[in-house]
Formats: sequence, structure tokens, C-alpha cells
Amino acid sequence: MSDESPDEIGKAYDARLLRRLWTYVRSYRAVFWGALLLSPVNQAFSLIQPYLLMIGIDRYVAARDLAGLGRLATIFSIAVVGEFVSYYGQSYLTMLVAQRSLADLRVALFAHLQRLPMAFFDRTPVGKLVSRVTTDVDVLNEMFAAGAMTIVLDLLKLVGITAFMCWINWQMALVSLLLLGPMMLAIDFFRRRARVTYRQIRERIARINGFLQEAIGGIAVVQLSAREARTFAEFDRLNADHRDANRWSNRYEAALFSLVEAVSTVSIAFMLLRGGTLAAADVVEVGTVIAFIQYIQQFFVPIRDFSAKYAVMQSSMTAAERIFALLDEPAEPEAVAPQVPAVVRGAIEFDHVWFAYKAPDDREPEWVLRDVSFRIAPGEQIAIVGATGSGKTTTIKLLDRLYEAQRGRVLVDGIDVRDWDAAALRRRIAVVLQDVFLFSGSVADNVTLGTPGIERATVEAAGRYVHADGFVQRLGGYDAELRERGSNLSTGQRQLLAFARALAHDPAVLVMDEATSSVDPETEWLVQDALAKLLAGRTALVIAHRLSTIEHADRILVLHKGHLREEGTHAELLARDGVYARLYRMQYAPEQSGVAVGAG
Amino acid sequence: MSRLWTYLARYRVRFGAGVVCLVAATSLAMSVPWLWRRAVNDIAAGAGPQALWRTVALLVAIAVAQAIMRTASRTLIFNAGRDIEYDLRNDLFAHLERLPLGFYQTRKTGDLMSRLVNDVTAVRMLLGPGILNFINTPVYYAYGLAIMCSIDPVLTVAALAVYPVVLYAVKRTSAALMERTLRVQEGLADLSSRVQENLSGIHVVKAYGAEAHQRRTFTEMSDRFQEASLRLARMRSFIGPLMNIVGGVGALVVMWLGGRRVLDGRLSVGDLVAFVGYLHLLAWPTMALGWMLSVFQRGRAAMQRLNELFTIEPAIATAPDASPITPFRGDIELRDVTFRYPARRDGPPILDRVSLRIPAGKTVAIVGRTGAGKTSLVQLVPRLFDVESGQVLLDGRDVRTLPLAWLRAAVGVVPQDPFLFSRTIAENVGFALADDGRDRVARAVEAAGLGRDLADMPAGLDTVVGERGITLSGGQKQRVTLARVLASDPRVLVLDDALSSVDASTEREILDRLRDVIRSRTTLLVAHRITTVKEADEIVVLEHGRIVEQGTHEALLARGRVYPDLFRQQVLDDELEAFG
Repeated sequence: MSDESPDEIGKAYDARLLRRLWTYVRSYRAVFWGALLLSPVNQAFSLIQPYLLMIGIDRYVAARDLAGLGRLATIFSIAVVGEFVSYYGQSYLTMLVAQRSLADLRVALFAHLQRLPMAFFDRTPVGKLVSRVTTDVDVLNEMFAAGAMTIVLDLLKLVGITAFMCWINWQMALVSLLLLGPMMLAIDFFRRRARVTYRQIRERIARINGFLQEAIGGIAVVQLSAREARTFAEFDRLNADHRDANRWSNRYEAALFSLVEAVSTVSIAFMLLRGGTLAAADVVEVGTVIAFIQYIQQFFVPIRDFSAKYAVMQSSMTAAERIFALLDEPAEPEAVAPQVPAVVRGAIEFDHVWFAYKAPDDREPEWVLRDVSFRIAPGEQIAIVGATGSGKTTTIKLLDRLYEAQRGRVLVDGIDVRDWDAAALRRRIAVVLQDVFLFSGSVADNVTLGTPGIERATVEAAGRYVHADGFVQRLGGYDAELRERGSNLSTGQRQLLAFARALAHDPAVLVMDEATSSVDPETEWLVQDALAKLLAGRTALVIAHRLSTIEHADRILVLHKGHLREEGTHAELLARDGVYARLYRMQYAPEQSGVAVGAG
Repeated sequence: MSRLWTYLARYRVRFGAGVVCLVAATSLAMSVPWLWRRAVNDIAAGAGPQALWRTVALLVAIAVAQAIMRTASRTLIFNAGRDIEYDLRNDLFAHLERLPLGFYQTRKTGDLMSRLVNDVTAVRMLLGPGILNFINTPVYYAYGLAIMCSIDPVLTVAALAVYPVVLYAVKRTSAALMERTLRVQEGLADLSSRVQENLSGIHVVKAYGAEAHQRRTFTEMSDRFQEASLRLARMRSFIGPLMNIVGGVGALVVMWLGGRRVLDGRLSVGDLVAFVGYLHLLAWPTMALGWMLSVFQRGRAAMQRLNELFTIEPAIATAPDASPITPFRGDIELRDVTFRYPARRDGPPILDRVSLRIPAGKTVAIVGRTGAGKTSLVQLVPRLFDVESGQVLLDGRDVRTLPLAWLRAAVGVVPQDPFLFSRTIAENVGFALADDGRDRVARAVEAAGLGRDLADMPAGLDTVVGERGITLSGGQKQRVTLARVLASDPRVLVLDDALSSVDASTEREILDRLRDVIRSRTTLLVAHRITTVKEADEIVVLEHGRIVEQGTHEALLARGRVYPDLFRQQVLDDELEAFG
């Protein structure tokens, strides 16, 4: 249920991942370095202010020099404005780098997904992939905004403050930072504890999410099983676990927050004592003490925020890991020298094709197609019949090279589909599936699917030709947006749109999985008529569910359990008196069918 | 909001204690700059370390006390917030469990999850950090202003002159910030549905070579999202520096004006230190105002969304005077039933004045085209939905007078769409059992024809099925679902096209094995395979929500109008399977 493996240690720093991330940042390195360079400038402006206050008090107030105080105030104003501008610039530039490079990463990820083989999508839930592209990339954004970058800058700041204090008076600096050592130890202790709790919290919220997803999705099962109370008890446990992890995290954070605050106060107290001694000896003046109060306060702020930033780093590393793992998924294999024939005639040949979806190394794969061979001449119309699982749909997928045969060859126009340019091959073969998938967008978008060169006139002509025009006009024309991917369209209307889509692409080969679900008689007639028009003059391969379709085919292929059992015209197959003949009789002679079925 | 008060009241002791500690911690913090003042004045006066010792010791003591109080206050308040989060999430989940299926048809799972997770979190933010700051800020201001004014009212006004400007900026930006944040969130949601859609239709994308176009439109969308994010970033980047400027300008005023007033002899150097200190302490609560504003807005909006769910009364619940039927024979009767889905009350009825009697122990098959109302009819028996008019009766009692849990234990439904939980097969099969009932599970699994499949699985019954059973075939999932119902041994068995993904011969085999089970129970069978329904005592043909024909297989074939037609239109696939 959880995306994260339980044994994951929750690293906050992984050089390998950061190096890889850098390849996306590199294009914007000028901005990146700009942001990084602005930070010492910003710190200079910030660190100078307590120093100026010191000068003001020690030099001008003590000497009653009003004009000097005025001059100093001007310099101070410049420092304040400078700090504001440089700080703003630095954080904006950082976000600019983050947004630009992460947008590139996101697009790269999306583009990579388009190139992954179908087999990958068969085994990976869509929801997981969606969160890779959106949520995980967003977590990386947080890393820029509140994590990695600022940790580096904070370190720089600590060094800067220390240097400044030492430069002003090293003795007082030493006293001020006396407690730093013990505090680091304490922080390290909390960090170790917090690391575990943060990981627990993330795991537990992921578990709650997974649980809810199932409990809500399966609410009917829960209710029918009268299992509400136990399901609630299970949820309660997850919820309590999550709360408890957060309680610990709250305790650690509260303790750490208070500890840093206390150490800051105590350090200032120590410094006052030392400063008092030195002032009495006239080594320093009172302004120095005031400046030191401010330096010490500034020093402890980043330390206090460290644990929050650490948590951000932890989750970013996990996110980066997952994103790169997805980017490393091997893409669909491409032909070495992809062929793009100028004219596609539409000749198809299956040459001793064997295929299995899963090919385990150790045992014989579960063959879906076994030694299937057939040829289809250009312009021929073929019907495939067979039971569920007989391999009909697989045949289409192999033809379109969505999958590759383990043995044997699939040839289109005499060229092995593996040697074709995949896009060129698929453009020439239009596939219409039972379940018509529509995208959100306009009717026209769904017809063209963005294929360049399909004019509006073509879209409208296709619509008219396949009888889709009527309902498209009722929807508001070809620019009308389809609501929720066409949920307002009937099954028959969706079919017609799919026909228009196929027709507009003017394919040499049309592959079609005829719908089984019934539509109203009027639409049914439209669909049948449109189909006949669509098939005319093309090589067509139809997975047939209706006898009328079979009867009109030039030739029929009967698939059974992965074997090509019979092949021939309607008349030939009837004469052979085999599987097809019995089937045909059964469909048209119900009175005898009881016997026929029983005999099976 | 009143719901919120009841939760707050539940933890009032801890909130109260937390607030007391918080005020104590803040009071202690406020005494620190005052002590600096004393120390610096001593130093300026040239007093040696002896004079400083007491101040320093006091500072250390305060630091320790403050740390204790601070830890206690944050732990108490934040943890009480966590407790309310826990209660709220539990209560909401328990409430959702009681809402009927009709409710879920109108809601997206993602939306409900986001309320249970994100909205509850937003309310917790309001109650934890929100309350803490809500109390802390006035305390800081009250102390700070009082002390600073007691030192020098003029300097106080001057040093705080920048505050109204900053507050105004914070107020302005917080509205814009909300708006821009919303845009970014919308952008992210758009991106996510885009990816979701693309991946769901990846087969179409590939088949039409539309990858480049998809990439282009995604890039455009990503660019728009990027612009929205940058707009937000421009504003967010403004807030950190703004906070710094509050401190910087304060220090500047203190140095320049304060310095002059020291020259005038109206102030001491120590007073200046105190001023710088108090300004530093006030800077954070001031900046936190904007943040608090958004926490409050978000928390309130979230609570409203939660209330919207809480106020939905469960439409299907056990009536107060409900009682079980003992002994239960298993007669089913639908009397003049009309039904529409609650979400589509204005459409045509799904079932239109349907009357049907199934005597105990008989098997009735329901056939008809997609959308004829078969599934709706069987869903009415266990009250997944309630009828619009008419009655569903068991042994002559209206199902609405029966306890829900009893009813659902008495009526076992194997749905069309198998739903499995990502647990072991044994847990899925025993889902409705009170204990783990290993024996019953094993028998049910055998009866559902899963024996051979289990032998092939690494851990047999203890094999964990992947997310929603992704690792199982459609037929296997259906059989696990069947086993789940068989394991709980209901008096009435409803099979809603429950074996459609199982091949015909396996279905035959399963039904043969179930013959005894079916004979001893009242069975409602929705199926599309004629071989499956043939042996039923009676076959009911539904069309457009009405019963159009009724009778045995032979009678219907001989005299029926629709049934023979349905029979002829049998999908070729299934018939083909009958051939070796």
C-alpha cells in the first residue's frame, strides 16, 4: 500500500541523486550561480548592521557626534535596503531555477512515459505514475524552497557570523560559542530520533492513504460483508499509529525549539559577563556587547530550523529516487534502421508467431498465440472469431507492435514490424477498440488526436461520412468540449466518433474490435452502415462479434486457445462442417442449440 | 463551527494547561531584554563582573524555566491538536462507512480521501499552531508595547512606525497569496488529471502515434503551471525579506533617534538594547499574522467541507424497531417496485413496477440486455439501495424493518465487478467472517474452483494479492469474490454475472460443484450465458426496467419473444468455448 519500502533508511543526502538532479539544473546554471552568489552579498548586508549599531553607539553617541550619527544612519539604511533586495533576489532566483529545471524534469518524465512499452503499463497502476509526475516533482520543489539550498546558505551564514564575531573580539566570540559543542551533540541526538519519527510519519500517512483508497473503493463490499466495525477498528489503529508518531515528533520538536532558545539566552548571558569584564578593563566598549547580542540571536535561528529542513531533504531524496527509477525504465525498443515506406499497401503476414505476455525464464511461458500463420492481401477484409482468451486482441496488438512476438515474425508490406519506424507503422494502421477512449478536449481534437495535416474539412467530412455529424451538431459542433471524456455520449455515439477518428487518419489498414454491448436499434443501424463504409477499400481486420459482420468478410480466421483452427470464406467453412459451421448453425437454429451446447 | 467546539471542549484541560504554560514562557521571554538593559547599563557605568553576576545568574535561571514552559506548552497544545485530528478523522471515517452506495456514486474517491486527509490536517493546523499563535501574539504585543512605552513612548512610536505599513503589506499579500496558491493547486490538479487521462488512454496514444502531440500539450500545460508557480514564488520570496526589514528598520530608528535621545540624556544605552531586543521579539508574531490568517481561512473552509459530509444523514440505516427474522426461510418478493438511482432521480426509472416472487430454495435467473436493470434489481435485496416505491420483502417482511447487519449476513451478493483488498487471499475470502475461520475459507475456496490456482501460487491461501488484485486474472478475482460469499454461508445467494470472466467450461464446473449449495438456498442469478441460466427454476427477462417474459428455459424458447432473440444474439466467443 505504501509507496515506500519499509526498510528504507530515510537518507537526507545522496550524492548520486543530487548529481543526477544537477543535469536538469545545469541548463539554468547562470541563474543558479547568480542565486548562490547573491547570498554572500545578502549576508554581508545583514552582518554589517549590528556592526554599524556598535559603531554608532561606541563612536558617535559616546562622542556626542550628531552629524556622524546621521551619516551612519544613511549607511545603515543602505544596508537595510541592500539586504532586502539581495534577499529577495536570491530567493526568487532560487525558485526560478527550481521551477524551470523541475518543469524540464516533469516534461522529460512525461515524454519518457510515452515511450514505455505497453507491458509496463499492464503491471503498473496509473495512480502511482501520476504521483511520480506531480506529487514527487513537487516535493523536489520544496527541497529548493526550504531544503538543500537553504541548508548550504545557513552554513555559510554561521561561518560568516563566527568570522565577524572573531574579528570584532575573539575572546567574546569564544565565550559566546562556548555552548555550541554540547548543543550540537544534543541536536544530533534529536536529529537521530526525529529521523526515525519523520520516516514513520510518512509511512503511516501513506498507509492511511492506501487504506482509505481501498476502503472507499470497496465500500460496497465492506457494507455487504457487514464489516463496518472491524474496518473501522483497522482504520482506528492506523490513525492512532499516525497520531502517536506525530506526538513523538511534537515532543522532539518542542524540546529542540526550546533548547535552542535557552542556549541562545544563556550564551548571551555568558557573553555579557565576559563583555562586562573586558569593558571594565577598557578593552571593549558597550556597543560591542550590543552587537554581540544581535549576532548570537542571528546565529541560533538557522540552527533552530535545521530539523524541519532535514525532514524536507529526507522526503526529497525519496522522491528523487522514485522519479529516477521511473526514468530508468527501459523504453520501447526501436528499430536499428527504422523503415518508412512511402506507400503502404497494407499486406499483412503472420509467420509462425508465438507470443506470451509474461515470459518467465525458468518455465514454459503461457502462450497466448501458438504458431499462428496467415497472410492478408492488400484490400482484403478479414474477420477473426474466437472465444475470450483465444488470442484475438493479442493479434491486433502484435500487428501494431504494442507487443513483440517471442518467436516468428509479423510483417506489414513484407517488412518485419520490428524494422518499421514505430510511429509510421501505427499511423498507417488505425485501431478501433470496443471501449472507445475519448480525451478531454473538443470533438475535433478527439478526431485528429493532434496528428498534423488533418484539416478541419477532413474532420467534418469524416464526421458526416460515418453519421457522427448529427449528434456532434447537437453537442454544439466540432469545437464543442466533451464533458468528462465523453461521459455524456452513448456507447454507439462513442463508436461513431472512433470511426471518424480512424477515417480522418486515412489508414491503409483498419483494425477493429467490434463492440459486443448492445446499442439502440437506430444507432446500431448507423454503426453498421458506417462500419461498412469505413472498411471499403482498405485492408481490414475485424474481431467480429456479430454474424452479419462475419458473413460480409472476404475470409474468416477462427482462433481457438491460441491456435489458428480454421481459415476460409463463409461458404468454405460451412462446407467444412467444423467449429465455425456448428457455431453458425447454433446461432440461427436455437431449437437445436441446446443439444449443440450440451455436446461441447 | 459548533462541532469544532465540542472537540475543543473534550481537550479543554490540556489546552488550558498549554495556554498557561505558553503565557508563562512568553512572560519569561519578555523579561530577558529587560535584564540585558540592566546588564548593559551596568557595563556602561563601568561596573565590574561582580555587579553582573546576579543578572547573568537570573538570565540562566530564566532560560531554563522558559525552556521547560516552552516545551510543555508546545507539546500540550500541538498534541491536543493531534488528538482532535485523530478523533475527527475517526469520526468522519465511521460516518462515511454508514453512508449508502448512492452517496458514493456521486462522489469521487479522490475527493473523499482529500477531505479525510488534507482537510482534517488543515483543521488540525488551525487548532494546534493556529491557537498557539492566536494566543501568543496578543501576549507578545501587550508586554512589548507596555514595556517599551514605559521606557520611551516617543521612541516606541517611531520604532513601530513601520509596522502599519508591514501589516498592510501582509494583509494585502495574504489575500493575493491565497489566490496564487489556489492557482498553483489548480494547476497541479490539472496536470495530474492530464497525466491520468494520458496514461489511461496510452493504448490510443500509441496506436495513433499521438505521443508528440500529447507531449506538446503537456508541455504547454506544464509551462502554464510553471508561470503560476513563479507568480507565487515572486510573492513568497517577498515575505522573508519583509520580515528582515522590520528588524532592520527598527534597529535603524533605535540607533538614530534613540542615539539622539541618549545624547539628550533622556535614555540610557541599556534602554536602547532593550528596545532592540523587544523589536526582535515582536518581529516574528507580526510576520506570523499573515500566516495565521491563511491558517484560519484554510481551517475554516476545511471544517465547512467536513461539516458538509457530517450533516448527510445515512439514508439507509437500521430502523429503531428493526428485528431479525427467526427462523429465516428465504422467501423473496418484490412487490410493485420502482427504482431510480438517487443521483438520477429525474431520469427514466431503472425498474418500473416490477413484481416478482421467489419461493425459498428456488433459483431464479434474470436475463436482459445491458442497462435493462438486472444489477439494480439484485442490489435492492441487501439494501445497497432502497426502492423508490413498492416493497422488497423477505419472508413477507419489508427489508427496511430488518437490522442491516443481519440482512447482509442473510443475503450474500457476488457482484459483477470483483473488488479485492490488497491482503492475502485467505483474508479476502474470510472478509465477512467474524473470526479467521480457516476451515470455512478453505472449503469456500475449493467450492469456488480456486484450488488449482492456489496450488500455483507461492504462498497458497496466504498469497497477498496486489493492489486491487492486480496480480490475479479477471476470472480468478471473480472466483475469490464468490468464495468470499460462500464462506459466510448466506441463506440467499445472489450471483450478479459473477462468473462472466471465467471461461464457460470452468463456470460449468463451478456451478456443478455448487449445485448442492444452490439447491439448499434461494438463489438469484444474473447471467448472460444461456448455459448458466438454463437450469434455473424460472427465468425472468428484463427489458427497460420491466419484466417482459417469465418462465422456464423450454417454455421461453417455445413461446417467448425476447428470450429466443437474446439467445440467438449470444456472443460468439462464449459459444466457441464449448468446442474442444
